[in-house]
Order: sequence, then structure tokens, then C-alpha cells
Amino acid sequence: MKNRRRVVVTGLGVVSPIGLTPSALWDSISSGRTGIAALRAFDLTDYRVKIGAEVDNLQLEKAAQEIGLRLSDRTMDLAVIAARSALTDAGHDLASASYSGMDMPVIFGSASGSQHSLYDCNTRFAEKGVRGLRPTSVPRCMANAISARISLRFGLRGANYVVASACTSSTNAMGIAFRMIRDGYADRVLCGGSDATFDPFVYGGWNNLGVMSKNPDPLTACRPFDAHRDGCVLGEAAGALVLEAGDVASARSASIHAEVLGYGESSDAAHITRPSADGQAAAIQNALDDAGIDAGDVGYINAHGTATEANDECESAAIRKAFGSAADKTPVSSLKSYLGHTLGASGAVESVATILALRHGLAPANLNLSTPDPACNINLVDSEGVAIQGSIAMKNSFGFGGGNGVLVLCGVRA
Amino acid sequence: MTRDEIISKLRDIMKESTEKPVDWSTVSGESTIESLGFDSLSILDLIYDIQQEFDAEFDAEQLVSIQTVGELAEFLSSQLA
Repeated sequence: MKNRRRVVVTGLGVVSPIGLTPSALWDSISSGRTGIAALRAFDLTDYRVKIGAEVDNLQLEKAAQEIGLRLSDRTMDLAVIAARSALTDAGHDLASASYSGMDMPVIFGSASGSQHSLYDCNTRFAEKGVRGLRPTSVPRCMANAISARISLRFGLRGANYVVASACTSSTNAMGIAFRMIRDGYADRVLCGGSDATFDPFVYGGWNNLGVMSKNPDPLTACRPFDAHRDGCVLGEAAGALVLEAGDVASARSASIHAEVLGYGESSDAAHITRPSADGQAAAIQNALDDAGIDAGDVGYINAHGTATEANDECESAAIRKAFGSAADKTPVSSLKSYLGHTLGASGAVESVATILALRHGLAPANLNLSTPDPACNINLVDSEGVAIQGSIAMKNSFGFGGGNGVLVLCGVRA
Repeated sequence: MTRDEIISKLRDIMKESTEKPVDWSTVSGESTIESLGFDSLSILDLIYDIQQEFDAEFDAEQLVSIQTVGELAEFLSSQLA
């Protein structure tokens, strides 16, 4: 095996329902503001669940205009803007006349890919048959359209592909990026995830699946780990991070947001949608082993915490199984009640938020946790938030299909 | 529809489908389609959008020799006649 290199985070970018910059995201989280509201994306008359967390259209249009992006497929638009923010944050002047691209792989995750383009194609096909299909349907809808578009737009040469593992997608993408750098295959990687779930078709599938909250009140519907939780609320977002070899970042005096210490993954091999505590615990243990730390070293767990009955109880059991008695003291919170469940983007967006939580030394509050579920026997952060001991956090992501991904991050205090 | 009306409509369609920043006030019948940011792939989408907008059906191959906005307008004019 090649010598393992340190891997640091030098760029952060987000497009989320609670902010289009990392600082806006953190402001919303630290002040307990949710992005969940009445959905406006399309006519929801026939839909049971009419709330969700949308990216503000005016802010999105402004951000697109600033970088000369013509809005097209929403999932790709969110991804391109987040990617551009992360690259700029990492110190790359993309607008400079001398900029001619970089050797930088692009690894993005997405649960549903360019679903708005697919919806458009399906609608036209239903109307006019094959003659209604755009000649560019294939490049618009192909599963790797997101990373391809980012690579092309910013001249990023290196591997470019999309990881699809439902809600674990972008955590897997970050894990792959981490390994690529650690093991010497790349000096830096742009990774992240994007999902813009609100089109009538894909969102309709979620509507009919029965895992979303029936509570129509946007402020209280999403209640991770609460005894009265009754399902998730969806959100749309993109998150992007530039990971870089520590020696390369130091040589160019780049600002360092965090270090990636370890990554673990596993598959439940049990059920297509129902999670398994054994599978999740295996990923958590693999991440701890990969980072070379003990559970007691982790000062904060940013949970997957979808607020479904099954996930939160199962995740709590998995944390308990992997952490043992250390789970009594490690604070755990979920950001789904702020962001909604942003599916394939959640790992990346919530990792950005976790890095900011480490910077500020504050484990964010569990919004709407008024009656902790006794079945969730872990140390849940209350509505005030709690100070993080040390500088290490864990980010959990678990997805339909049984894929689990867990990152261990070490922050830099402000 | 007059040639000028067709060119005006073409300009609107092209505005919506090119990634290239273009000063549309200077675009005339003499402007080449390539100069407006269309390549061999994106021109297929442009033709599709034109077909939808003008409710006309023709083979993309019929447009192979067309270089300028004016030539495109004349072709469309003959199709719509």
C-alpha cells in the first residue's frame, strides 16, 4: 500500500433551503430556523404532503446570474452553483483570464439525478411520442450528467462520475474522494451531492410511499428522535467540498476548514427500505477503525436522523452498538428538521454544517425534540444545542438499498 | 409571417437555448449560428425548439448547409408557406 496522506477540506459550498453560503447555513442552524414551508414548486392539490424545504428561487436566480449560468435542470443548477462556491472558497480564481482548468476529479452523489429533465422528456413523450423527445435527451438525462456538467464548466480534468446510493450518495462520494487522495491517486478532488426532488413525478413517488410526515404544520412536522415523530419531510439542496492532500494545501498556504480522518461503509443486505442496526453499526465501526480512533474520541455525531420511526430508532441502536457506553456522553443531533431530507445531497450539505459546528464548538439543537423517544437511547442534544468536547465529529448517512456511509471529521476551531 | 418576424422569433428561441453571452441587439440575418454559441450538438436542440415553436416538422439534415440566421429564416419561411 502506498503511504497514506492526510486529507483536508479546503473548500465549502452549499445551495440549501436555509442559505446559499456556508455562513448563511450556519446562521440559520444556530438560530434554530427551519427551511421547511408550504411547497410552491408545482400544483400539489392531489398530493398528501404539501410541505417541504425548497431553495429560494430569487436567491437561486441571483446566484446563477452572478456566475453566468442559464438555469436548466434544477438538480444540475444547484450542483453547479455549489461546486463553483466550493472551488472559489478553496482559493481558485475561476474568473481569472489565466485560469485554464485543473487536474481535479469530480465525484458527486445524487439519489435521483437530473430528474427534472427526465420529467420533461417523459411529459413530451407522453404528448407526442418519440418525435416529442429532444435530440439531447441523452446528455441531459444520463446518470452522470451532474459531474459531467461540472467538469466541463470548470475545466476539471480527472475522473468524473456520479455515485448513486440513495440518501448515502454524497457521503459515499466524499468517502471515495477521501480515499483517492489518501492513497495517492489525486492531490485534490471536488466532491459533493445534489438532489432537487420537487417535480410532480419523483415527489409523487415519495408522496405515495408513506414515509413522510402527515403533520401539515411546516414548523413542527419534522421531529427527529421525538416520541411523536411520524415521518420525514423532504428538501432540496446541493453541497460541495474540495478535499485536498494536506501537504499540497500547506504548500499553497490554503485555508483549512477541517481534516477527514476516516470513512466507513457497509451494506445491510437485509431489506430494500427497512434499515438494519447491524449494517449501520458496521459502517460506524469501520469509520472509527479507519480513522484509528476510539468511540470516546468523537465529540459530536451528526445523525442521519430522518425522523421516520424506523430510521431514528435503528440509528440509535446502531450508535449504541458501535459506541457502547461512550454513547452516554457523545451528543447526537439531526439537521433534517432544518433542511428537510435532502436525499443524495444530505451527506455533503450536513458535512459542511458539521464542519461549521466543529468550528464554532456547538452541537446544533434537535429542532422539535420535545419528548425524546425512550427507544432512542443515546445522548440527544436538546433544543439549546450543546458545546462539543474536542474537535472530532462523525457524519452518518444511510440509504434505501441498504448502503451505509460514515465519515469522521476533525474540525478547526474559530 | 414576415422574414423579420421570423428572425425576431428565432432570436427569442436562441436566447433561451445558448449558454454564450450574446449582445442580441446586434444579431441580424448575417450573424452566423455558430457565433451565437451553437455547436453540432446544441444546434440539434435549437432545431427541436424551432420545430416546437413554429409547429413545423422537417429533418435536421435539411439544415446542414445553413450557416446564418437569415438563411435559417428563409428555410423556415419556405417550410411555413
